[in-house]
Amino acid sequence: MPFPPFDRRRFVKGLGYAIAVATVPRPLLVRLGRSWEPVPPIQDPRLKELTARALEAARTAGAIYADVRLTRDRSRSIHGGGTCSDAENLEAGVRALVNGYWGFASGPIWSPDEMVRLGQEAAHQARSNSLGGSREVDLAPRPVVTDGHWVMPVQHDPFEVSPFEIMDFLEGEATAAARVGPHYELRNRQASSGWGARFYLQAKVFASSDGAYCTQQLYRSTGDVSVTAQPPGEPLVIRGVPALSSAGMGWELFTADRIPRVRNHSLREEIRRIMEGIEEDSRLPLKPVDVGRYDAVCSALVTQALIFGTLTPATELDRALGYEANADGTTYITDPFRMLGTLQVGGPLLTLAADRSTPGGAATVQWDDDGVVPPECILVKAGVLNDFQTTRESAGWLKERYAALGRPWRSNGCARAPSAIAPPMQFAANVAAAPGREALDYEDFVAGTTKGIAVEDIDEPSMDFQASSGEGHGRLYKIERGKKVARLFSAAFLFHASEFWKSLRSLGGEASLRRYGWEEDKGEPEQKCQYSLTAPAAVVGQVAFIERGRKA
Amino acid sequence: MSVRSPAGPRSSGADRILSADQCDALARRIFALARGPGETRVSIVSWWNGELRWARNRVSLGGDRQNLSVFVRRFTDVGFGDAWTNQLDDGALEAAVRAAERSAQLFGSVLEQPTTLPPLPPLDARQPPVWSDATFNLPTEARGDMVRALIAPAEAKGMLSAGFLEMHAGARAQLSSRRPAGPYAPWDEPYVAWTQAECSMTVRNASGTASGWAGVSSYDWSRIDAPGLAARALEKCDASQHPVALEPGRYTVILEPQAVADLMENLVGTLRRADAGTWFLGYDDALKLSRQKLGLKVVDERITISHDAMDPRLGILNEPGMDMGPVTWIDHGVLTNLGDWRGFAVAALGRNLGTRLPTGYRMTGGETSISEMIRTTRRGLLVTRLSGVGLPLDPTLVEEGFTRDGLWLIENGRITKAVKNFGFTESPLFVLNNLEQLGEPVPVYRTVWDALELMPSLDQLTPAIVPPLKAHDFSFTSLIDAI
Repeated sequence: MPFPPFDRRRFVKGLGYAIAVATVPRPLLVRLGRSWEPVPPIQDPRLKELTARALEAARTAGAIYADVRLTRDRSRSIHGGGTCSDAENLEAGVRALVNGYWGFASGPIWSPDEMVRLGQEAAHQARSNSLGGSREVDLAPRPVVTDGHWVMPVQHDPFEVSPFEIMDFLEGEATAAARVGPHYELRNRQASSGWGARFYLQAKVFASSDGAYCTQQLYRSTGDVSVTAQPPGEPLVIRGVPALSSAGMGWELFTADRIPRVRNHSLREEIRRIMEGIEEDSRLPLKPVDVGRYDAVCSALVTQALIFGTLTPATELDRALGYEANADGTTYITDPFRMLGTLQVGGPLLTLAADRSTPGGAATVQWDDDGVVPPECILVKAGVLNDFQTTRESAGWLKERYAALGRPWRSNGCARAPSAIAPPMQFAANVAAAPGREALDYEDFVAGTTKGIAVEDIDEPSMDFQASSGEGHGRLYKIERGKKVARLFSAAFLFHASEFWKSLRSLGGEASLRRYGWEEDKGEPEQKCQYSLTAPAAVVGQVAFIERGRKA
Repeated sequence: MSVRSPAGPRSSGADRILSADQCDALARRIFALARGPGETRVSIVSWWNGELRWARNRVSLGGDRQNLSVFVRRFTDVGFGDAWTNQLDDGALEAAVRAAERSAQLFGSVLEQPTTLPPLPPLDARQPPVWSDATFNLPTEARGDMVRALIAPAEAKGMLSAGFLEMHAGARAQLSSRRPAGPYAPWDEPYVAWTQAECSMTVRNASGTASGWAGVSSYDWSRIDAPGLAARALEKCDASQHPVALEPGRYTVILEPQAVADLMENLVGTLRRADAGTWFLGYDDALKLSRQKLGLKVVDERITISHDAMDPRLGILNEPGMDMGPVTWIDHGVLTNLGDWRGFAVAALGRNLGTRLPTGYRMTGGETSISEMIRTTRRGLLVTRLSGVGLPLDPTLVEEGFTRDGLWLIENGRITKAVKNFGFTESPLFVLNNLEQLGEPVPVYRTVWDALELMPSLDQLTPAIVPPLKAHDFSFTSLIDAI
């Protein structure tokens, strides 16, 4: 789908407006005192007074603990061919704890009256529930942050960059792609129209009744992009661009010459390599898979996808204990307290860490939605389950177990609400798999495989409701004597999480690590949050490959 | 119908959703803020959610949330621009209008061609029943009492109950500042307010080796028998203990209505010619319904899939541009209609309105009860529901997924054992061609098509009335450990 030709006349005419777009403040109004005024910067101390109203109202209504979130969400979506749409919203949410029961209330207004209403309503919700059997909530302790402020460091605030410059860039890359070959195009993810960029900026306040107060400004950028090719007489090929998946970065996600662990060259070169890959593929014959067990050579992206389907959900403690049983399900870690520190979930090569501090991570913050500074924690150590992803509440469930293991009792900082409208719940942190010791990468693994199957890219694996058995399908290649000799169509592989990770033969080295953004759906009603997964290439032994869609 | 909430902490003036008058007044304020002669289009969506979530026999969160979304599109001489906000004060609305105008000026692409479509016929003014005071006015305390009553039986038996109770209300209106001759402009959508109630729960035993589920959704809370659902979930968990492993293979299955609905989801989504932008392509795969199959018998003659928007149990939101009269997609097994967007209907079919998709639908059944189906089965499996259903061979309708929350072996007319879950690979078309018996259709659990993140005005109710059925040669391809 070609763009309309870029209109120079409109460009010049619009130049004056461009400055206006970038600099005019947007007067969303809030009521901090007697009258409505433009919403102040998030560090404004009057917002603290606002949140204090909500906390006081909740406490007066019987809450022993309460916290408040205010969020100001900006998003900008720019697509080549000339659309730029902005959204800007304010949200406020209050959570209250009464007799071990949580209540929550939220709405779109920042004003003292509304803070009181939300505080009272949250306590009311909690109190109504607390008529049931007794329930304990033991919140893991945390240092109280008083007046903390943090701005996610980015090189280029995407909201300060002229939309014209962004549009110019998008069109430039699209033109460059089309020059590689007439049947190549850059399109959006659904491949239905031109590609674009999306940016999010969340300014957020957190305040709690035990005196914590902090503000943050969090960026997220992503490309709405796919590389498509329609060689004459051939079906449409669509490939994603993982380097443009969600990241806690600004405009530099697109423009930087290289981003360590994401891409080692410019975006243009990254896209050119994807097109080169499509070209090479078209020279390989298409063959059906010979059903059987093979060594699977997995790219970093595929290793991530498999962690996404198995280990990330398995190590979410709330899920393991049945708090998502009515939604996505439970996990194969069926007895979390006993299995912590003892269960072997993978081979000795597998070490998995979780953090919310990686620069550029899509789950990166300074404080989580409990006011905790998320520590780095080791979820899996040399194949053994070592820790869980937790919030202050779920860490409370591990209090005794941590004590028995001689560990400090603390939350791992995974409390998260996508905006203040939603109640915070446990969501995935950034997860990283440690690389292998040798400097090997995906190509080295292919070259070193006599007979096997290369798994270069898969869709999200189809998992069962315990994140245990799954099926992966996508771009699979037959490897013979160190070379990809055929594309396998209608092929898929089956796996059981524990068996799969215990069959890890090799892991790629540091240079093979890649970090991409993923989206987690969780909760009732469903919420979405993004996080980053970092993983190396991998070789897994004796994986079962089958024909997709084959009936019994 | 009042949108004002009953007394309580809410009575400090917060409306949970906007009324028709409020939307109208809001739109007029936005129109008045426009600079320049071009058209302004506004879409106003507001929603409220009262929810109770529980796990391990205790409520884990009770919440009350609301939000809204105002979408503004401004047309100028060079094109149109969009902006969104959720604030209703003058400053925010003005800022949104200016942002849309700036966007139009800088980037507006004239994507909207002057329409070649004839004027819309008068809108069907009848409002399908989609609002229930019972849903909207259920007090917080009553929700709490209800959930405690749902948990108690499971807890008494040493089981763990988890579940979700949700009362939702939404309202939307779309208005254009320009109204040509006729009752409304193509962009206009008359104000509609609707409710949705959902109740579902999963009961598991303490060791996690058995699980049962029951759930249903309806716009009307008074039609939901929550205690009945709780009893059913508990019964299924109880009966699922000590499951045995069976060999995967082809089995005769009795699918409960929820399992049928889960299987049918992809099929009903496919009953359209094609998406708006690609209608001329169509789908021509042998296993997927397409315009080439119109008029042909595609499934058993006992199956009719239809929708009457005025049916009190099947209310959906009006879709301007679509024929809101009764529609039958599959009539006694014959494919008689496919969903079509209006542009195609005008260009190729000589009709001035599009044909609806089965967002809501009724599937005919029969009179055989599930017990009778069991009694007449020599060897088969009884399935509660299906999970993780996907399309591995798109565009064919072959589906893959898992059984979940209750699977039993039937031998010689009786349930004999609980069985470990299977993965399956099967096509709903094949199942509907291998039918043996059908039962009475009942409402099932289906979530609203929730587009809150992208375009809230695209939310659509999805009621479905679906029978249980018995079919032979259902393909189970793998054994799974998940419970």
